[in-house]
Amino acid sequence: PQNLKCVTHNLHKMVCTWDISSKRRHGQAEFCYTTNDHLPRCYKTKEKRVEIPVPESSITVKITTYSISGTAFATRRFEINKKDISFVPLAPHILSLTPDFSTFTLTLKWSDNGSAFPYGLDASWEIEVLRKETMEDVTRESYNSKLTHEDVIHSWKWKSDMPLECTSHYVRIRLYINVTQFDGHKDWSDWSPVEVIPGKDTEPSGSGLFPQDTVVAVGSNVTFCCVHEEGRQVQRMSYGAKDYPLIRLSSRSSAIRVLNANASDASGTNIVCRMSENGMDGTVLFVGYGPDIPEELSCETSNFVIIKCTWKPGRASGLYGVRGTKYSLIESISGKNVSCEVNEMKKERVCGFPVLADQKTYSFVLGVSNPIGQTEASLLVDLNQRVHPETPEKLTVSGNSSTSVRLHWYINGSFAEIRLLCQIEISSAHSEQKLHNVSMPGGRFSTYTAQLNALHPYTKYRFRVRCSAADHFWRWSGWSGTEEHTTLEA
Amino acid sequence: MAAADTPSATLRHHDLCSRGIRLARKMRSDVTDLLDIYVQRQGLDASISVAAVDGVPAAAAERWAEQTGTQRLLDNLAAYRAFRSLLAQMLEEQREQLGDADAELGPALAAVLLQVSAFTYHLEELLELESRGAPAEEGSEPPAPPRLSLFEQKLRGLGVLRELAQWAVRSVRDLRQLAKHGPGSGAALGLPESQ
Repeated sequence: PQNLKCVTHNLHKMVCTWDISSKRRHGQAEFCYTTNDHLPRCYKTKEKRVEIPVPESSITVKITTYSISGTAFATRRFEINKKDISFVPLAPHILSLTPDFSTFTLTLKWSDNGSAFPYGLDASWEIEVLRKETMEDVTRESYNSKLTHEDVIHSWKWKSDMPLECTSHYVRIRLYINVTQFDGHKDWSDWSPVEVIPGKDTEPSGSGLFPQDTVVAVGSNVTFCCVHEEGRQVQRMSYGAKDYPLIRLSSRSSAIRVLNANASDASGTNIVCRMSENGMDGTVLFVGYGPDIPEELSCETSNFVIIKCTWKPGRASGLYGVRGTKYSLIESISGKNVSCEVNEMKKERVCGFPVLADQKTYSFVLGVSNPIGQTEASLLVDLNQRVHPETPEKLTVSGNSSTSVRLHWYINGSFAEIRLLCQIEISSAHSEQKLHNVSMPGGRFSTYTAQLNALHPYTKYRFRVRCSAADHFWRWSGWSGTEEHTTLEA
Repeated sequence: MAAADTPSATLRHHDLCSRGIRLARKMRSDVTDLLDIYVQRQGLDASISVAAVDGVPAAAAERWAEQTGTQRLLDNLAAYRAFRSLLAQMLEEQREQLGDADAELGPALAAVLLQVSAFTYHLEELLELESRGAPAEEGSEPPAPPRLSLFEQKLRGLGVLRELAQWAVRSVRDLRQLAKHGPGSGAALGLPESQ
């Protein structure tokens, strides 16, 4: 007997194996071991392999080999110290490998088998991703965890640089446990059996150009692959008007890699794969920007019926139609949510939100999203401080006096809960233009009146009016139309 | 029902044919312009080949010369009804994909759709004159198209417009044939009277 080796997989039991140097046919072997405080223990085996507990200290081993007929051949003693024992964890077991084709992401789940080990050991995992028919190594990544003497399921995500449909992706994992108080040699486990996500190039009728109709950010690197039937060849693949060098993934899949993609036109950039026998396939890539944080978000009401929020969108996303930027206005006090109709080509951005009964303060979050990203801006508004009345209408002037007149005007809106400040502009040919301020209680969709005195008799005047909130000035309304009136003779 | 062959019918027939020819020519030039805009806006290679598109009637007709006037009208009517729904679908896809960003292709498509609709109505009038009456449209809605990828949509649109351009040429020739033979030329070739 020679080359006795003892390996433990779980720090409790160890497997000792040995070789037989001579070529003669052997029957059983007897494996006896003694630790310093125990009587020898013996095992008969034909396997040249015995599993015994990991000793606390060194052990003496005596191995005797016998012939088929049972006569002893040879005996040999070995001294096994703790440092002679190797610790190699068992290969991990993958629970699942799940693809998300829309995000090119693989999710690996495995159990750390922690219950087999003492609490608190540091475990290092290596996860290897391989690809193509030739199972080329794509990446090998580390993942660390702590064993908790319980079986914990770990999850690890990996985003491929190409669509998972392009070719088969394989994943395997191995483990290293750093047992500081273990004197012997420590090593990585074997790799787990490989788990595979088959590519479209393995499906009998699998074909297509991938990714299909995707949106990416400007500057992205994108890999496109053309999967085709057996026997066909890809002759060339173009991105926009330019052909790209082909990368062979398998006999039924070729790829191109586009680096630092520029913004695409509104209808996207076409990727065309031309194959033998007039075969052709294509896809479209939309390259744009994520939304900018909205600037100068401002909300006001002109009638206490609708709150109008405006903002500046920032850089155009370059994405339109169904991929265009979506806006929604969320009011967190009431929880109400409104989606906004926005014309991407117009500079001005507006969104209306209903004024809610008995709510004066509004906490708005303007949510902005498109396929590339999302962002938001927020604003707290006391509505009474953001009143921007509509332009006064139907201004009329009446009066049968030589020095005073009465003005009447209508304002569309419900201002019953605030006071209005209105400014009347008085112009006449031979006196300076004057502004007369008058404040009055607001009304609901009503007409307002003001009297002007100390006018000159028999004089032609032009009047117009504008209004704002009296208590918390925010903005003047527009000026009403101008009305002319001549005072009576004295 | 006897074929209408009164002087006023002949005059009306000739008028409809010549107006139809003018409309088809206009359509032809507008579709050619639209094709240029379409290829450019969709980022396509103008020389790209497009397989026959499902649901698009081919303009090329076997034994075109032997067709009766009624057959010509019926073929034309079937084609332009198909184009009307195909163009309407293209317009909808256009709006969905480009939204506000498209100030050129959508309007051009809509203009051609309008012409196709007008020409379809025109053909129905001519068929009325043939005392035959235009066949009812089969079912109210065309079958929902298969879900195509965006690239396939682009190619199909190109295929539709190319075929429409061919049809516009054929329609001019068909209407010239019709104009030569006067109303009821279908019946003239011994076709059974319509019951």
